[in-house]
Amino acid sequence: MFELLFFSLLNGVVTGLLLFMLASGLTLIFSMMGVLNFAHASFYMLGAYFAYTISSYIGFWPGLIIAPIIVGLIGAVVERYGLRYVHRWGHVAELIFTFGLAFLIEEVVQFIWGKDTKAYQEPEVLHFALFNFFGQDFPAYKAFMLIISISIFVVLLLILTKSRIGLIIQAAITHPNMTAMLGHNVPLVFMGVFGVGAGLAGLAGVIAGPALGTFPGMAVVLGPIVFVIVVVGGLGSLVGAFVASLLIGLLQTFAIALDYSVNDLLMLFNITTDVDSALRDLWTLSLPQIAPLLPYLLLVLILIFRPTGLFGKRET
Amino acid sequence: MSNISNAQSSTPQSSKFKVFRPWIFLAVLFIVLPFIFSSGISVYTMNLMGIFIIFALSYNMLLGQGGMLSFGHAVYFGLGGFMSVHFMNYIEDEVFILPMFLVPIFGGIIGLVFAVIIGSFSTRRAGTVFAMISLGIGELVAASSLIFVAFFGGEEGVSGDRTMGPNILGVDYATDLQVYYLIAAWAFVTIALMYMFSRTPMGRMANAVRDNEERAEFIGYSQRKVRFISFCASGFFAGIAGGLFAINFEIVTEENLNALTSGVVLLMVYIGGVGFFIGPIIGAIFFTLLQTLLSHYTEIWQLYVGIMFVLTVMYAPQGLTGILAMHLPVIRMKRVPQLIMPYIRLGVPVIIFLIGAIGLLETVHHVRSAPVDQTMMTLMGLEYDTHGVLPWVVMVICTLGGGYVAKSQAGQLREAWEEAHAPVSSNGGSAK
Amino acid sequence: MSMAISLNEVRKSFGPTEIIRGVNLNIEKGERHAIIGPNGAGKSTLFHLVSGRYTLSGGSVSLNGEEISNLPPYEIYRKGLSRSFQVTNIFPLMSVFENVRCGIMWSKDYKYSFWHLVDRERSLNERTQEVLAEIGLTDRQHVPAGVLTYAEQRALEIGIASAGGADVIMLDEPTAGMSHSETDQAIALIRKITEGKTLVMVEHDMGVVFDLADRISVLVYGEIIATDTPENIRNNKAVQEAYLGAEAEHA
Repeated sequence: MFELLFFSLLNGVVTGLLLFMLASGLTLIFSMMGVLNFAHASFYMLGAYFAYTISSYIGFWPGLIIAPIIVGLIGAVVERYGLRYVHRWGHVAELIFTFGLAFLIEEVVQFIWGKDTKAYQEPEVLHFALFNFFGQDFPAYKAFMLIISISIFVVLLLILTKSRIGLIIQAAITHPNMTAMLGHNVPLVFMGVFGVGAGLAGLAGVIAGPALGTFPGMAVVLGPIVFVIVVVGGLGSLVGAFVASLLIGLLQTFAIALDYSVNDLLMLFNITTDVDSALRDLWTLSLPQIAPLLPYLLLVLILIFRPTGLFGKRET
Repeated sequence: MSNISNAQSSTPQSSKFKVFRPWIFLAVLFIVLPFIFSSGISVYTMNLMGIFIIFALSYNMLLGQGGMLSFGHAVYFGLGGFMSVHFMNYIEDEVFILPMFLVPIFGGIIGLVFAVIIGSFSTRRAGTVFAMISLGIGELVAASSLIFVAFFGGEEGVSGDRTMGPNILGVDYATDLQVYYLIAAWAFVTIALMYMFSRTPMGRMANAVRDNEERAEFIGYSQRKVRFISFCASGFFAGIAGGLFAINFEIVTEENLNALTSGVVLLMVYIGGVGFFIGPIIGAIFFTLLQTLLSHYTEIWQLYVGIMFVLTVMYAPQGLTGILAMHLPVIRMKRVPQLIMPYIRLGVPVIIFLIGAIGLLETVHHVRSAPVDQTMMTLMGLEYDTHGVLPWVVMVICTLGGGYVAKSQAGQLREAWEEAHAPVSSNGGSAK
Repeated sequence: MSMAISLNEVRKSFGPTEIIRGVNLNIEKGERHAIIGPNGAGKSTLFHLVSGRYTLSGGSVSLNGEEISNLPPYEIYRKGLSRSFQVTNIFPLMSVFENVRCGIMWSKDYKYSFWHLVDRERSLNERTQEVLAEIGLTDRQHVPAGVLTYAEQRALEIGIASAGGADVIMLDEPTAGMSHSETDQAIALIRKITEGKTLVMVEHDMGVVFDLADRISVLVYGEIIATDTPENIRNNKAVQEAYLGAEAEHA
């Protein structure tokens, strides 16, 4: 039991931090430009695929560096030539544009790489068990994911709060016009932030690809959850995104690990159920089964009881 | 039938008839179509179009009329479908005695019920937040559908038999043609109802809230309530479309609820044109044609759709209907002949460019996906070797050359366009 | 007899900054009342507080004796208070005709009806044509409101605000940006549509103010420093110091 909790905790944190890598970029882009980038998870997918290709020719480690950079550049181009153009028609048009982009990227990925799952492997050197607790292995690769995630956040936090460019970004988020008046190239800042956000998503893809699988549907699997995170955390709040990411990462991991069903709950009260009743699905409902639903249930609850999200600022 | 009204304070007899004219035309068209396009595949395609038209129009009640972008509209379509197919099974098991053609009503009702439930908390906000909420709810319902197997049938979905139930006038819906007339009848009724809805006070205020939600409150209307009612109405009609889907295909699966279907309806409506009542109709027809015809000729038709969609969003946000509508003033001023040559001059290089680009895409796809030894492929009737140099050279030249010439010709079309729109000279009188 | 609008110790803060600092004002039924003051005094903010756009930080607002503090805008409208906006706030994609008609619909009790067809509602459409004629936009009625000229949009603003027949009409800088002739037309329009009603307006153009107003209130730094007839305001020392100064020559 204890090792179950321990590993679930660890895995939940790994997942949560990975989700935060995506959610943080999304939040930054949203705070700055008011655009919820539907294609954000697509950049994640591109990161994984580029890393896969690079790792097949040169190796995993060059892929770790090069792939996010390529994705970041693609992101910058998308902002400069796509989003900026569509901006004139308002937020709904921008959202539809990023949606179309997500759809297009998925088709392009299938066109270039095919529809099958790619054998994107973790590097040999990390292919061992870091430690063994109560008979269960903890893969070193997961620890690697953890280390990368945490280092990225520290770097991000430092840049945003301590560096000059970070101050400019913070200013441009709330007062783009004023910041521009002060002589800063705000469009360049926008392009940079979008590019960095995309690059972050790409990096998440690079490290998650071997663990979660590299296939054309990977954006669609993760995308909605990331959006739920930013809404639950509160649109525009990085702290909210962090808390919500960990919350959802842990929630899902624990739900999958703890194999209890409604029947088990009812047993506690000595209630038995009919195996053939029409509501049989409800009684046999188990935690692992509803694990995929949990983020969305959380979304609905937050929307009913706390519409601005956990740490949300005012209306969009 | 544009959103700009031509309201008159009195309706003399002749203009009353004029109001009914398009509807009579539509009814006649629906009746006559299967005689013009009578092959099996045509009827099949028209049935699909009919269903999508209703679905797309219901979606535009949200997007085009109400300014609400939803990524989860398939929920109401799918739930309507599931409820309907269950009713079909109740009819088969003689739990109810109901003629098949009434089944879509139950689809509509369940669409309405869920729209009321979900709308109660999701229509509080508009814009981006609403879109994200709709996405989350859509995923929730789609994921739930794989869990609650009793209602949703799990991976295989739920099947039914549309020939069951009382035979009215000998119609048992065994043939696609009979189903066509059922769908056409429902399409006619729902198109009329949705159009009329847009001409009611509620429909007008939906437009107002879309344009300026704040100001709407200052003329006495709660924006939240307006959005909620639009949402419910749209769910109702989506449910009806789902019911017709159930009857037509006799099976409903999780696919009909999921994000892909929600995305497809957004695509259809946007390409058709959100700002016009008939936009979704045109979009549904166009998309269905793409899906059924194009998929026969190429495996990468979805890639083309994706490219088309992004191009539409960026360069033709008014959609196909918008492009057509742009030409109305020119047609009215009878200046169309002025534009024919300029269009040809631009059109030909564009076509050459497309031939080159499509050729490249198709050939690359073929090289990557066909078995190793199969190097011959056919495109547009021409057979060629994908490993030969000549086809590649030709395609690259077409793409680059066509593209370059097209770009240089764009200017002359723009000039001709402006000339065609120039005010008429005074001695000719003004165009009215 | 209860006041048309009554403000009692109204306060509004944005964060730590108090913009409206205890406003007391009583506006009588049928009165034409102008609120003037230097830029940044809080005139528009006061309007927003009364009409429901902002929530009050303190104090209360009453309409015809009934408290309306912090009610949503649509409820305040339904109780008989209608307003226009300083920055044009119309429905740009809808035609001018539709804009006006929407402004009338609630007053004709249609509420959220989806069983009436507006094109067939004779009384609704006739009233719309009446208002269009009043604001001089009959010829432009089928044009999308977004393409109107600035002055036409200002006229439409006033039209939408008054179309519903509210008893109390608040106009926020109705003549902003208008030329002399346009302003004269606007004054005539305002006078006509507020016949027998209570008018509250924010204005910078002293000519308009002294022409139309029965009483004037002067708002400076979120407080009303004087409320009186135009003549007395003109001669009020404190007002002259705080505000009128150069304007007295301009009027």
